[in-house]
Amino acid sequence: MSPFLRNLFTRAVLPLAAGSWLSACEMIEFSPNDHRAPSHQRDLTAKNLARLAASPLPAQDTLRFVFTGDSQRFYDDVEDLVKSVNQQPDVQFMVVAGDISDFGLGREMRWVDDQLRHLRIPYLTVIGNHDLVANGGEAYERIFGPRNYSFTYGDTKFIMTDTNGREYNFNGRIPDMDWVSAQLRDPAARRHVVLSHVPPLDGDFDPTLREAYAQALREDPRLVFEMNGHRHSHSVSQPFNDGVTYINSYAFERRRYLVVTVWGDKEFRLKHVDF
Amino acid sequence: MLQSLLCAALLAAPLAPQAGPILPDSVQAAAPVPRARWYQPRHVLVQTGGGVGMVAAGVGYAFLRDRLDADVLVGYVPRKHAGTTLTIATLKLLYSPWTLPLTSRLTVKPLSVGVYGSYTHGLRNPGKPGQYPDDYYWFSNIMRVGPLLGSRLSYALPATATGRRRNLSGYYELGTNDLYLLSYVQNRQALGPHDILTLTLGLKLDL
Repeated sequence: MSPFLRNLFTRAVLPLAAGSWLSACEMIEFSPNDHRAPSHQRDLTAKNLARLAASPLPAQDTLRFVFTGDSQRFYDDVEDLVKSVNQQPDVQFMVVAGDISDFGLGREMRWVDDQLRHLRIPYLTVIGNHDLVANGGEAYERIFGPRNYSFTYGDTKFIMTDTNGREYNFNGRIPDMDWVSAQLRDPAARRHVVLSHVPPLDGDFDPTLREAYAQALREDPRLVFEMNGHRHSHSVSQPFNDGVTYINSYAFERRRYLVVTVWGDKEFRLKHVDF
Repeated sequence: MLQSLLCAALLAAPLAPQAGPILPDSVQAAAPVPRARWYQPRHVLVQTGGGVGMVAAGVGYAFLRDRLDADVLVGYVPRKHAGTTLTIATLKLLYSPWTLPLTSRLTVKPLSVGVYGSYTHGLRNPGKPGQYPDDYYWFSNIMRVGPLLGSRLSYALPATATGRRRNLSGYYELGTNDLYLLSYVQNRQALGPHDILTLTLGLKLDL
C-alpha cells in the first residue's frame, strides 16, 4: 500500500469511522420521523414560558408582541426576521402561528429553533397542519410541547389550540371545543386572545365544529380577537359578521411581520414591519 | 441507553478483529469453489441509523466482482423514539470501486457511493384515501430516497469448508434524504451539510 493511501486511511478514514462518540451518535438518525432531540431542544414551550414569566408584565401595562406564522421551508428568511425583531423596542415575546415545519419532521423544527433561539425575547408556537404530517404531532410535542395550552401574560390570557381538523381526517374532535370553552370561561384574566393555525372558514377546519367555534368566541365578552396562520398572507376581518375580529399572519417568506399592541379592554393596533 | 450501547458497539466493531488471534492461512488450492446460485444472498448485514431503523437487518447480493452491493433491509424504530413503532423496508445500492489490502487479513474499501430508497410502515398520519384534496401535499410521507457515501473495513475469516472466502466487515455511511436535500438546496445560507447528514454504522458478514 502506498504511503499516500496509508496516510489517507490513518488521517481521514479511521478518524471518520471512529468519529467522536457524541456527534456520531447524534447523527445516527433512526428515521426522519425520529423525534429525539438534544435536551436544549426539548419542551421549548415550557422553557419559553418560563423565560416570559421571568419578566412579568404589570397589570394595566400595554401588551406588545410580534405575530408571525408559517416558517415552513423558509430557513433563509429566519435569520433576517430574528435580526429585525431583535431591533423592535418594547416587544415582549413572539408568536409563530403554526407550520413551523414543512414535512412534519423533528429536524425541521430544530432547524427553525436553531435560529429563533437567537431572539432576544421568548417565542411561542401553536401546531400547524404541516407539523402534523406523518408523526409530526409527536415530534411537535417532544420539541415544543402540548397541542393545546394557555398562558396569561399581564392582563391577557392566550388560548393556543389545534384547529388542524383535516390532519385528523375531520374526526369531530379538533378543535377540542370542551377544552376551548373551559379556557374561555376562565374569568381570571381581563382579556382573551385565541390563537390557532387554520382559520375557521378555511376548508381545512372541521366543518362540523366551525359554528361551535365561532359561537364560543362570539359569546366570550373578554375576547379581543382570534389569530391564525395557514393562509400565508395577512388579513383582518370579521368573517362571521358577529363583531369578532380574525387576524391572519404573514408567512416568513413574505418577509413581513406584525407588531401587535393591545391596551384597555379591547383596544389594539397592528404595525407591519418589513425585514 | 440501548442506542448508545449499540452505537458504541458498532463504532468499536471495525477495530475488534485486529485484537483477535492471527489465524494461519488455510488456502487449499485444488478444491473448486462452488458458485452460489443467483438467488442465494452473498452476505447478511445489520446496521443502525441512516434514517432506516434503530436496528436494520437484511441480506445482500454482490455484483461486478464485489464492487456493487445490492442490499435489502428491514428496520425497526421503537415507539418512544418516533411516536409510533415504525417498520422500514430499504433497498440499498453501493458501488465500491477500490479494494486496498492493509495487512494479510485486513482490506479496506475506501470509498463507497450509492443510493437507497426506503418505505416506512406504521406512521400515525400517512394520509388516508380522501383525507386531502389532490396535490395537497406534494411529497410522500412513506417513501424516501437519498445518496450514500461511506467506507468499509473487512477482515478475512477462515475460508468455508467449500473454500469460499468470507469477510466480516464494518462500515459507515454518510447520507441524507430527498426532503433534507431539498431543504438544504433552497436554504444554503441557513443550513449547512452537517444539518442534513445522517450516519449509518453497520456490520456485513459474507455467507
